[in-house]
Amino acid sequence: MSKKQVIDNTDRYKGEAGNFQSLESDDGPGPMKSVEGWILIAKGIHEEAQEDDLFDAFSKYGPIKNLHLNLDRRTGFVKGYALVEFSEFAHAQDALNGINKSEGICGKKIQVDWAFKKPNKKGALKQIKKQ
Amino acid sequence: MQTNQNDEFYLRYYVGHKGVYGHEFLEFEFRSDGRLRYANNSNYKQDVLIRKECFVSESVISEFKRIIEESEIIKENDSKWPAPDKIGRQELEIKLGNAHISFTTSKLGSIHDVQSSQDPDGLRVFFYLIQDLKCFVFSLIGLHFRIKPVN
Repeated sequence: MSKKQVIDNTDRYKGEAGNFQSLESDDGPGPMKSVEGWILIAKGIHEEAQEDDLFDAFSKYGPIKNLHLNLDRRTGFVKGYALVEFSEFAHAQDALNGINKSEGICGKKIQVDWAFKKPNKKGALKQIKKQ
Repeated sequence: MQTNQNDEFYLRYYVGHKGVYGHEFLEFEFRSDGRLRYANNSNYKQDVLIRKECFVSESVISEFKRIIEESEIIKENDSKWPAPDKIGRQELEIKLGNAHISFTTSKLGSIHDVQSSQDPDGLRVFFYLIQDLKCFVFSLIGLHFRIKPVN
Protein backbone atom coordinates (compact mmCIF):
# COMPACT_ATOMS: atom_id res chain seq x y z
CA MET A 1 0.00 0.00 0.00
CA SER A 2 1.98 2.97 -1.22
CA LYS A 3 1.66 6.33 0.42
CA LYS A 4 1.80 8.70 -2.52
CA GLN A 5 2.17 12.31 -1.65
CA VAL A 6 2.62 15.59 -3.42
CA ILE A 7 6.23 15.95 -4.46
CA ASP A 8 7.18 19.57 -4.83
CA ASN A 9 10.64 19.85 -6.24
CA THR A 10 11.20 23.57 -6.00
CA ASP A 11 14.36 24.41 -4.12
CA ARG A 12 12.73 25.07 -0.81
CA TYR A 13 11.02 21.72 -0.86
CA LYS A 14 13.85 19.41 -1.92
CA GLY A 15 13.55 15.75 -1.07
CA GLU A 16 11.45 14.79 1.91
CA ALA A 17 10.71 18.42 2.63
CA GLY A 18 8.37 18.50 -0.34
CA ASN A 19 6.06 15.72 0.81
CA PHE A 20 2.80 17.26 2.03
CA GLN A 21 -0.04 15.01 3.07
CA SER A 22 -3.57 15.86 2.15
CA LEU A 23 -7.00 14.30 2.11
CA GLU A 24 -8.17 12.39 -0.94
CA SER A 25 -10.65 14.02 -3.25
CA ASP A 26 -11.92 13.98 -6.78
CA ASP A 27 -11.10 16.81 -9.14
CA GLY A 28 -13.58 19.37 -7.89
CA PRO A 29 -14.83 22.03 -7.93
CA GLY A 30 -16.89 22.26 -4.76
CA PRO A 31 -16.55 22.11 -1.01
CA MET A 32 -14.12 19.65 0.52
CA LYS A 33 -14.95 17.27 3.30
CA SER A 34 -12.69 17.30 6.33
CA VAL A 35 -11.63 14.20 8.25
CA GLU A 36 -14.74 14.05 10.39
CA GLY A 37 -17.24 16.42 8.85
CA TRP A 38 -17.95 19.58 6.90
CA ILE A 39 -16.56 22.89 8.04
CA LEU A 40 -18.12 26.29 7.49
CA ILE A 41 -16.58 29.70 8.00
CA ALA A 42 -18.81 32.46 9.36
CA LYS A 43 -17.60 36.06 8.97
CA GLY A 44 -18.62 39.51 10.12
CA ILE A 45 -19.45 38.34 13.62
CA HIS A 46 -20.35 40.95 16.21
CA GLU A 47 -17.47 41.82 18.52
CA GLU A 48 -19.31 40.81 21.67
CA ALA A 49 -20.89 37.64 20.36
CA GLN A 50 -20.51 34.59 22.56
CA GLU A 51 -20.13 30.96 21.62
CA ASP A 52 -23.69 30.33 22.81
CA ASP A 53 -25.03 32.82 20.26
CA LEU A 54 -23.36 30.93 17.47
CA PHE A 55 -24.29 27.60 18.90
CA ASP A 56 -27.95 28.60 19.07
CA ALA A 57 -28.00 29.94 15.53
CA PHE A 58 -26.23 27.03 13.90
CA SER A 59 -27.65 24.10 15.84
CA LYS A 60 -31.09 24.87 14.39
CA TYR A 61 -29.85 23.06 11.29
CA GLY A 62 -28.34 20.01 12.88
CA PRO A 63 -26.01 18.82 15.63
CA ILE A 64 -22.75 20.77 15.71
CA LYS A 65 -19.60 18.73 15.93
CA ASN A 66 -17.19 21.59 16.59
CA LEU A 67 -17.24 25.33 16.99
CA HIS A 68 -14.24 27.66 17.11
CA LEU A 69 -15.01 31.29 17.86
CA ASN A 70 -11.52 32.76 17.99
CA LEU A 71 -10.71 35.88 19.92
CA ASP A 72 -8.55 38.84 19.00
CA ARG A 73 -5.41 38.11 21.00
CA ARG A 74 -4.87 41.77 21.87
CA THR A 75 -8.37 43.00 22.72
CA GLY A 76 -10.05 39.84 23.93
CA PHE A 77 -13.06 40.54 21.74
CA VAL A 78 -14.18 38.17 19.05
CA LYS A 79 -11.85 38.34 16.05
CA GLY A 80 -14.79 38.31 13.65
CA TYR A 81 -14.89 34.81 12.24
CA ALA A 82 -15.91 31.37 13.44
CA LEU A 83 -15.44 27.84 12.15
CA VAL A 84 -18.40 25.52 12.58
CA GLU A 85 -18.33 21.82 11.80
CA PHE A 86 -21.27 19.54 11.05
CA SER A 87 -20.99 15.78 10.56
CA GLU A 88 -23.62 15.80 7.84
CA PHE A 89 -23.28 17.64 4.56
CA ALA A 90 -27.00 18.40 4.42
CA HIS A 91 -26.95 20.10 7.82
CA ALA A 92 -23.99 22.22 6.81
CA GLN A 93 -25.61 23.15 3.51
CA ASP A 94 -28.86 24.08 5.25
CA ALA A 95 -27.00 26.18 7.82
CA LEU A 96 -25.08 27.96 5.09
CA ASN A 97 -28.25 28.88 3.22
CA GLY A 98 -30.39 29.56 6.27
CA ILE A 99 -28.00 31.74 8.22
CA ASN A 100 -26.99 33.83 5.22
CA LYS A 101 -30.65 34.75 4.84
CA SER A 102 -31.24 35.31 8.54
CA GLU A 103 -30.83 38.30 10.87
CA GLY A 104 -27.39 36.99 11.81
CA ILE A 105 -25.82 37.01 15.28
CA CYS A 106 -26.56 39.67 17.90
CA GLY A 107 -28.48 41.61 15.29
CA LYS A 108 -25.60 41.70 12.83
CA LYS A 109 -25.76 39.78 9.58
CA ILE A 110 -22.99 37.29 9.03
CA GLN A 111 -21.70 35.60 5.88
CA VAL A 112 -21.36 31.83 5.87
CA ASP A 113 -19.41 29.81 3.32
CA TRP A 114 -17.55 26.52 3.06
CA ALA A 115 -14.08 26.70 4.60
CA PHE A 116 -12.36 24.12 2.43
CA LYS A 117 -12.58 23.42 -1.26
CA LYS A 118 -11.38 20.71 -3.57
CA PRO A 119 -8.26 21.53 -5.55
CA ASN A 120 -9.10 22.78 -9.03
CA LYS A 121 -6.20 21.25 -10.88
CA LYS A 122 -6.82 17.92 -12.51
CA GLY A 123 -4.62 15.27 -10.96
CA ALA A 124 -3.56 17.37 -8.01
CA LEU A 125 -3.72 15.95 -4.51
CA LYS A 126 -4.53 12.37 -5.45
CA GLN A 127 -3.02 10.88 -2.34
CA ILE A 128 -3.86 8.18 0.11
CA LYS A 129 -5.35 9.64 3.23
CA LYS A 130 -2.99 9.18 6.13
CA GLN A 131 -4.21 8.00 9.57
CA MET B 1 8.80 42.93 -9.53
CA GLN B 2 5.65 45.00 -9.61
CA THR B 3 2.42 43.31 -10.49
CA ASN B 4 -0.95 44.93 -10.83
CA GLN B 5 -3.09 42.00 -9.86
CA ASN B 6 -5.31 43.32 -7.12
CA ASP B 7 -6.03 39.87 -5.85
CA GLU B 8 -2.45 38.67 -5.57
CA PHE B 9 -2.01 37.19 -2.16
CA TYR B 10 0.81 35.30 -0.48
CA LEU B 11 1.39 34.71 3.21
CA ARG B 12 4.18 32.75 4.85
CA TYR B 13 5.14 32.57 8.48
CA TYR B 14 8.02 30.63 9.97
CA VAL B 15 9.23 30.30 13.52
CA GLY B 16 11.94 27.94 14.59
CA HIS B 17 15.38 27.20 15.78
CA LYS B 18 18.08 24.62 15.30
CA GLY B 19 19.32 23.08 18.49
CA VAL B 20 19.95 19.96 20.45
CA TYR B 21 16.81 18.30 19.14
CA GLY B 22 17.42 19.25 15.52
CA HIS B 23 15.41 21.76 13.55
CA GLU B 24 12.24 22.55 15.49
CA PHE B 25 9.90 24.77 13.60
CA LEU B 26 6.43 25.78 12.56
CA GLU B 27 5.68 27.10 9.12
CA PHE B 28 2.54 27.84 7.13
CA GLU B 29 2.06 29.26 3.69
CA PHE B 30 -0.98 30.51 1.75
CA ARG B 31 -1.32 31.21 -1.95
CA SER B 32 -4.05 33.14 -3.79
CA ASP B 33 -5.46 29.92 -5.20
CA GLY B 34 -6.25 28.84 -1.66
CA ARG B 35 -3.47 26.32 -1.17
CA LEU B 36 -2.46 26.16 2.47
CA ARG B 37 0.68 24.28 3.46
CA TYR B 38 1.47 23.62 7.07
CA ALA B 39 4.58 22.04 8.58
CA ASN B 40 5.33 21.50 12.23
CA ASN B 41 8.20 19.74 13.90
CA SER B 42 8.22 19.41 17.65
CA ASN B 43 10.40 17.38 19.96
CA TYR B 44 7.31 16.10 21.74
CA LYS B 45 6.54 14.16 18.63
CA GLN B 46 9.96 12.53 18.60
CA ASP B 47 11.10 12.64 15.00
CA VAL B 48 7.71 12.92 13.40
CA LEU B 49 7.40 15.91 11.15
CA ILE B 50 3.87 16.93 10.29
CA ARG B 51 3.32 18.30 6.80
CA LYS B 52 -0.18 18.96 5.62
CA GLU B 53 -1.71 20.57 2.58
CA CYS B 54 -5.25 21.60 1.76
CA PHE B 55 -7.18 24.22 -0.16
CA VAL B 56 -9.18 26.85 1.64
CA SER B 57 -12.06 28.74 0.10
CA GLU B 58 -11.98 32.29 -1.18
CA SER B 59 -13.95 33.28 1.94
CA VAL B 60 -11.13 32.08 4.16
CA ILE B 61 -8.49 33.85 2.06
CA SER B 62 -10.43 37.09 2.18
CA GLU B 63 -10.70 36.81 5.96
CA PHE B 64 -6.92 36.45 6.23
CA LYS B 65 -6.57 39.51 4.00
CA ARG B 66 -8.93 41.47 6.23
CA ILE B 67 -7.02 40.52 9.39
CA ILE B 68 -3.73 41.50 7.77
CA GLU B 69 -5.07 44.81 6.46
CA GLU B 70 -6.61 45.77 9.79
CA SER B 71 -3.36 45.09 11.59
CA GLU B 72 -1.58 47.61 9.33
CA ILE B 73 1.54 45.46 9.40
CA ILE B 74 2.26 46.67 5.86
CA LYS B 75 3.21 50.08 7.29
CA GLU B 76 5.88 48.62 9.56
CA ASN B 77 9.47 47.69 8.87
CA ASP B 78 11.87 45.43 10.70
CA SER B 79 14.99 47.61 10.59
CA LYS B 80 14.97 48.11 14.37
CA TRP B 81 13.70 44.68 15.32
CA PRO B 82 15.92 42.23 17.16
CA ALA B 83 17.94 40.03 14.83
CA PRO B 84 17.46 36.28 14.87
CA ASP B 85 19.73 34.56 17.36
CA LYS B 86 20.47 31.09 18.62
CA ILE B 87 17.19 31.06 20.50
CA GLY B 88 15.40 31.28 17.21
CA ARG B 89 14.05 33.23 14.29
CA GLN B 90 10.72 34.31 12.89
CA GLU B 91 9.98 35.16 9.27
CA LEU B 92 6.86 36.80 7.92
CA GLU B 93 6.34 37.35 4.24
CA ILE B 94 3.18 38.88 2.85
CA LYS B 95 2.08 39.96 -0.63
CA LEU B 96 -1.17 41.82 -0.59
CA GLY B 97 -2.17 43.64 -3.73
CA ASN B 98 0.82 45.81 -4.60
CA ALA B 99 2.37 45.64 -1.14
CA HIS B 100 5.11 43.18 -0.26
CA ILE B 101 6.73 42.80 3.13
CA SER B 102 9.38 40.40 4.29
CA PHE B 103 10.29 40.60 7.96
CA THR B 104 12.84 38.65 9.94
CA THR B 105 13.32 38.82 13.66
CA SER B 106 14.15 36.75 16.72
CA LYS B 107 11.62 34.74 18.68
CA LEU B 108 9.47 36.89 20.95
CA GLY B 109 8.72 35.14 24.20
CA SER B 110 6.28 37.64 25.56
CA ILE B 111 4.95 41.17 25.32
CA HIS B 112 7.87 42.18 27.56
CA ASP B 113 10.29 41.40 24.72
CA VAL B 114 8.20 43.76 22.60
CA GLN B 115 8.09 46.62 25.15
CA SER B 116 11.84 46.52 25.70
CA SER B 117 12.78 46.57 22.00
CA GLN B 118 13.84 49.56 19.91
CA ASP B 119 10.53 49.63 18.04
CA PRO B 120 7.88 48.59 20.52
CA ASP B 121 4.95 49.91 18.50
CA GLY B 122 5.89 48.15 15.28
CA LEU B 123 6.92 44.97 17.00
CA ARG B 124 3.67 44.95 18.92
CA VAL B 125 1.71 44.98 15.66
CA PHE B 126 3.78 42.01 14.50
CA PHE B 127 3.46 40.20 17.82
CA TYR B 128 -0.32 40.30 17.91
CA LEU B 129 -0.81 39.69 14.21
CA ILE B 130 1.26 36.51 14.43
CA GLN B 131 -0.86 35.27 17.30
CA ASP B 132 -4.07 35.96 15.40
CA LEU B 133 -2.75 34.25 12.26
CA LYS B 134 -1.51 31.20 14.18
CA CYS B 135 -4.81 30.92 15.99
CA PHE B 136 -6.70 30.88 12.70
CA VAL B 137 -4.32 28.42 11.02
CA PHE B 138 -4.31 26.07 14.02
CA SER B 139 -8.11 26.02 14.00
CA LEU B 140 -8.23 25.30 10.27
CA ILE B 141 -5.58 22.58 10.32
CA GLY B 142 -6.72 21.07 13.60
CA LEU B 143 -10.33 20.78 12.48
CA HIS B 144 -9.64 19.67 8.93
CA PHE B 145 -7.07 16.99 9.73
CA ARG B 146 -8.07 16.23 13.31
CA ILE B 147 -4.61 16.88 14.68
CA LYS B 148 -3.45 19.11 17.49
CA PRO B 149 -0.87 21.59 16.21
CA VAL B 150 1.93 22.06 18.71
CA ASN B 151 2.97 25.59 19.46
